[in-house]
Amino acid sequence: MVDRVTVTLILNGERRRFEVPPGRRLLDLLRDDAGLTGTKEGCGAGECGACTVLLDGVPVTSCLVLAASADGREVVTVEGLGSGALHPFQEALVARGGVQCGFCTPGVAVTGAAALARGATGAERVRLLAGNLCRCTGYAKILAALDDAAEGTTDAPA
Amino acid sequence: MDVAIQEVVRPATIAEALATLARADARPIAGGTDLMVQLRDGRRHAACLVDLGRLGLGGVRRDGDAVEIGAATTMDAIAGDAAIRGWFPALASAAGQVGGWPIQCRATLGGNLANGSPAADTAGPLLIAGAGVIVVAPGGRRRVPIAEFFLGPGRTALRQGELIAAVRLPLAEPPAGRRVVERFVKVGPRREQVISVASLAGRAVVGRDGALEQVRIALGSVAPTPVRATAAERALCGRRPDAAARRDAVRAVQRDIAPIDDVRAPARYRRIAVAVLLDRFLREVERG
Amino acid sequence: MPRRDSGARRKAVRSDHGPRTTDHGPLGGCHERPDARAKVAGSTRYVADLALPGMLHAAAAVSPTAAARLVALDTAAARAVAGVVAVLTAADIPGANLVGVIFPDQPLLVADRVRMVGDRLAVVAARSPEAAWRAAALVEATLEPLPAVHDPVAALAAGAARVHDGGNLVKAFRVARGDTRRARADVVVEAVYHVGGQEHAYLEPQGCLAIPEGRTRITIVASCQCPFYVQQAVARVLGLPLAAVRVEQAPTGGGFGGKEDYPSEPAACAAVLAFATGRPVRFVLPRELDMQGSTKRHAMVIRHRWGASRDGRLRFAEVDTVLDAGAYAGISTVVGERANVSAIGPYHVPNVLVTTRVAYTDNLFGGAFRGFGAPQVTWAAEATIDRLARAVGLDPLEFRRRNVLDDRRRRTCTGQLLPRPVLARACLDRAAELAGWDEFHARERAAGPEREGLGIGLALYGCNLHHGGQHLDRSSAVVIVQADGSVVVRVGLTEIGQGNLTACQTIAAQALGVDPAVVQVWQPDTTTVADSGPTVASRGAHASGMAILDAVRRLRARLDPVAAELLGCRPDQVVLANGRAAIAGEPGRSVEVAAVAAEMAARRIEAAATGWYRSRPRRFDAESGLGAPYESYAVACHVAKVHVDAELGLIRVAEVAAAHDVGRVIHRGALEGQIEGGVVQGVGWGTTERLALERGRLANPSFTDYLIPTAADAPKVTIAVLEGAPSGGPFGAKGIGEPSLIPAAAAVRNAVVAALGVEIDTLPLTPPTVVAALGDAHPFAWVAEEENEDARSAAAPASR
Repeated sequence: MVDRVTVTLILNGERRRFEVPPGRRLLDLLRDDAGLTGTKEGCGAGECGACTVLLDGVPVTSCLVLAASADGREVVTVEGLGSGALHPFQEALVARGGVQCGFCTPGVAVTGAAALARGATGAERVRLLAGNLCRCTGYAKILAALDDAAEGTTDAPA
Repeated sequence: MDVAIQEVVRPATIAEALATLARADARPIAGGTDLMVQLRDGRRHAACLVDLGRLGLGGVRRDGDAVEIGAATTMDAIAGDAAIRGWFPALASAAGQVGGWPIQCRATLGGNLANGSPAADTAGPLLIAGAGVIVVAPGGRRRVPIAEFFLGPGRTALRQGELIAAVRLPLAEPPAGRRVVERFVKVGPRREQVISVASLAGRAVVGRDGALEQVRIALGSVAPTPVRATAAERALCGRRPDAAARRDAVRAVQRDIAPIDDVRAPARYRRIAVAVLLDRFLREVERG
Repeated sequence: MPRRDSGARRKAVRSDHGPRTTDHGPLGGCHERPDARAKVAGSTRYVADLALPGMLHAAAAVSPTAAARLVALDTAAARAVAGVVAVLTAADIPGANLVGVIFPDQPLLVADRVRMVGDRLAVVAARSPEAAWRAAALVEATLEPLPAVHDPVAALAAGAARVHDGGNLVKAFRVARGDTRRARADVVVEAVYHVGGQEHAYLEPQGCLAIPEGRTRITIVASCQCPFYVQQAVARVLGLPLAAVRVEQAPTGGGFGGKEDYPSEPAACAAVLAFATGRPVRFVLPRELDMQGSTKRHAMVIRHRWGASRDGRLRFAEVDTVLDAGAYAGISTVVGERANVSAIGPYHVPNVLVTTRVAYTDNLFGGAFRGFGAPQVTWAAEATIDRLARAVGLDPLEFRRRNVLDDRRRRTCTGQLLPRPVLARACLDRAAELAGWDEFHARERAAGPEREGLGIGLALYGCNLHHGGQHLDRSSAVVIVQADGSVVVRVGLTEIGQGNLTACQTIAAQALGVDPAVVQVWQPDTTTVADSGPTVASRGAHASGMAILDAVRRLRARLDPVAAELLGCRPDQVVLANGRAAIAGEPGRSVEVAAVAAEMAARRIEAAATGWYRSRPRRFDAESGLGAPYESYAVACHVAKVHVDAELGLIRVAEVAAAHDVGRVIHRGALEGQIEGGVVQGVGWGTTERLALERGRLANPSFTDYLIPTAADAPKVTIAVLEGAPSGGPFGAKGIGEPSLIPAAAAVRNAVVAALGVEIDTLPLTPPTVVAALGDAHPFAWVAEEENEDARSAAAPASR
């Protein structure tokens, strides 16, 4: 049997300690060990972005992060994006109808929130979102929601 | 699913890292954006992963007449670094095109090189910059010129037990009155998040008379490794990049490359794409 | 924001199938989607998010080659892996070793012969996914290669290797009207189109969870579009009656047709393993295996000979289509049936001969995919229409105007008479106007490497199921009004992201005159609603909506008398609106619907009702292909504006103007979402999404190399909604799921051809395909020619 490794995270603002196999991916730690199933596995190769979480504040595809590499660092998942309530970008996604099947949505929400935190504008927002694949929406309402959230207007359009 | 390893080590010093890497079944991991996929698919194997995250190898710093980029610097950090954007715009541009943003936030410069892919986006810009790869080994440091670093698909000059510590890019201020044009262009079927089917990094120093005093061209995804287009450079040196010179360069560059047919594109397309990229770069140089 | 444009046609005919309500209500509005909040918070539980105590994980060992005889299967090494609980092969299946919706030609586990890469040889259950997949990789198969056939046209030629004993022709269809051989035409164009397939690329991989109750019954929770198909497949492999198999649809992360027929396979695997081990078994496919083994949009080879008069009137059309069904028939015959009658589009053509053949090959098998055979034949038809327009010297828009169906010429190619108003011409004109067709063509355009082009795609879509599948075209609903006035709705059709929950909620709220927020629509479960057929053919809102309206009608037979008593009026005077029951014509007197519900509860009056829908029967002669294959039709027109790099062959689709004949809008946001998403999926199919098949193996089974559009690739979509054409649907609505995709790739193709001035008859239009089409016209074609010469001389023996 392989030895387990200890991974301590500040997970959605809370200090959590996990004993996991050395080959565990951060994605599986979050889903299976921490019970945070909001983070999705769409491809396992870092191409679809459904598993995106914030690692020390920047978005990463958690399927390609070894859990042990995240030891001692801060992780924010879709469940922890807003503090208590939904993040403004999440609210805007709801208001705009930028959610269809919902499987890409957690990753989109995390990346979008990070793009807003960076202060990205215009075409840069599109570029930053391009690592999160969505097969349902055609992206129009996702990008509109990002613009709404940036401008602080999360009301549905008339 | 867990990747099939037995052990992970997180050394705090380079000496500790090298001590573990001396084992034949150990392999370094930084961003892991290539390695984690390869481990999962069984394309690479390791019993022990040595995580480089605590070695403090990230960051960009000016060091005399060079800029040194730590191996752990992420693509996102390189793309956004003011000094790199100023001095090495092709490198900044390339770093901003490696995968999607969540990949750029994780993938490191050292990893992009150590992976040994002919499509490594940062390789071309480093080739035209004449960069050196700073490698640390139990016996000490050595500097491998980037032109000698890539040996074949997935193979590099990095030996078992060695690490990339940094990449050093010499600063060369062109003489007064010269114009410098530097570009990185990548061709793929999609606009973002795509592995290139051909890429070109070019740097030209143009004299007052419009002639090319120095020209460096590097190409990706068109040979077993990223390559310098030396035949094309020879065809151009000292000439104005006019129609005749461009045509000669486009003909010469075909000797610099050895593209193959694969799932991403046929060889014929890659040859034509390289011709177009080179012609466009030279037109831009000519226009000024 | 996409433009909405419905005013112009508002006054046209409206067939209102809804019960008495006032015109105000949620219909056509844009209230919050009921599933959005949980999804955006990450709290929606998909199959992979479900775990049970003692649950095992399934994996499958699959064939790496396309055609072989299975000589021996050694599972000893797999069984020896720590954590493995069961390794099952064909002999271990308790019931029939059979999957397949229509033809019994596909085993669940290969017993003797492999016909495609990805055919399952054995299934494994283990305590962890790691152990299950490690064991699956250790299953050792001795495979003896057999001759294989990978080209569908070659598969139909004499002497081709046979994929199944009965030969490679699965089925043939035709439409024969008039006489194409004797028709007189001034201009005749011929072309052969090679139209590639497509991977669904739903973001959630296929998956299910099987929960056995001893060996007597089983519950399956599945990501799927048709729980009833899954129920039938599981009952068959376990040898159980249908009533002993309960299938609950899990929240489903995208389908696009890919979760119509295929989910029966993983579900049957999980069920067999669950019965063998007595434990819950979860089976979630890794992306590569999902892409390698699941169904695809059919590749087709389409041969055209069409003729027109000098003044641009279509005289005849001959279409000969071969579909690559792949190794198993699946539902390919149904796709062929639709491709057959969709081959001409919304044009008046007096003489038509369409032949459509479905061929077995040793390729991955084709299945349902948004559009169901229509996008391929539309792509070809629209290419030929543009060719003919050029041949007679007419603008492609004007050529279409001269031939498109309208209120005077309303017969489709099968001779079916469309009811008025026919909105094909209106859709064409609106899309062209939105795209700025005239302004674009009035403008000078550069001839350099950066080109621009506009192209049209126009499609006629038969709503709901074809005549051949009308026995499936029915749907079940249950509506329960709770004592507090909130409403439970169950339907047999699924939410897969397209917005069926939203549509059903809106329809139920409108019919009951209540706020949508009080209506809860729940995912289907085969024990709560009757078999409603698959959620396909853009029939979700139509079929489930009609069943809901039927249920509401029955419910109101009990609700209205109670309301009438509270109001002091006759039951037939009761109207429901704005959450209140009122007397028709007397707005002053009303009571809350919730109060009526409370009263019904107090009096123990049944406040639940079931509803049923079946499409109207119609006449169609399969032999001649003449008659009414569909109950109604929808028209869709897309005009694409593209930028083409004429040297690198790169295409950027900048804008798509989309005009849709939707009958009536149910929910504006969901409608726009379908159109925006359909356009982008169609654009991806037409440009970057290439299935790289190498001897039947998919060489790019990953998002790394199978390139679907990113946010940066998506065009700006502008939308015109045309209401008012009759549909037979709830409140006059028509389906939008598939019409939103069908014409997009054709529009892009025609725009690229217009920009470059060369025909491109191969889909997708990848950069190498575009550059190859340019041939010697490419400024650097000489580079490749010289290199070929060098290579030839280098290879010559004398030079060595």
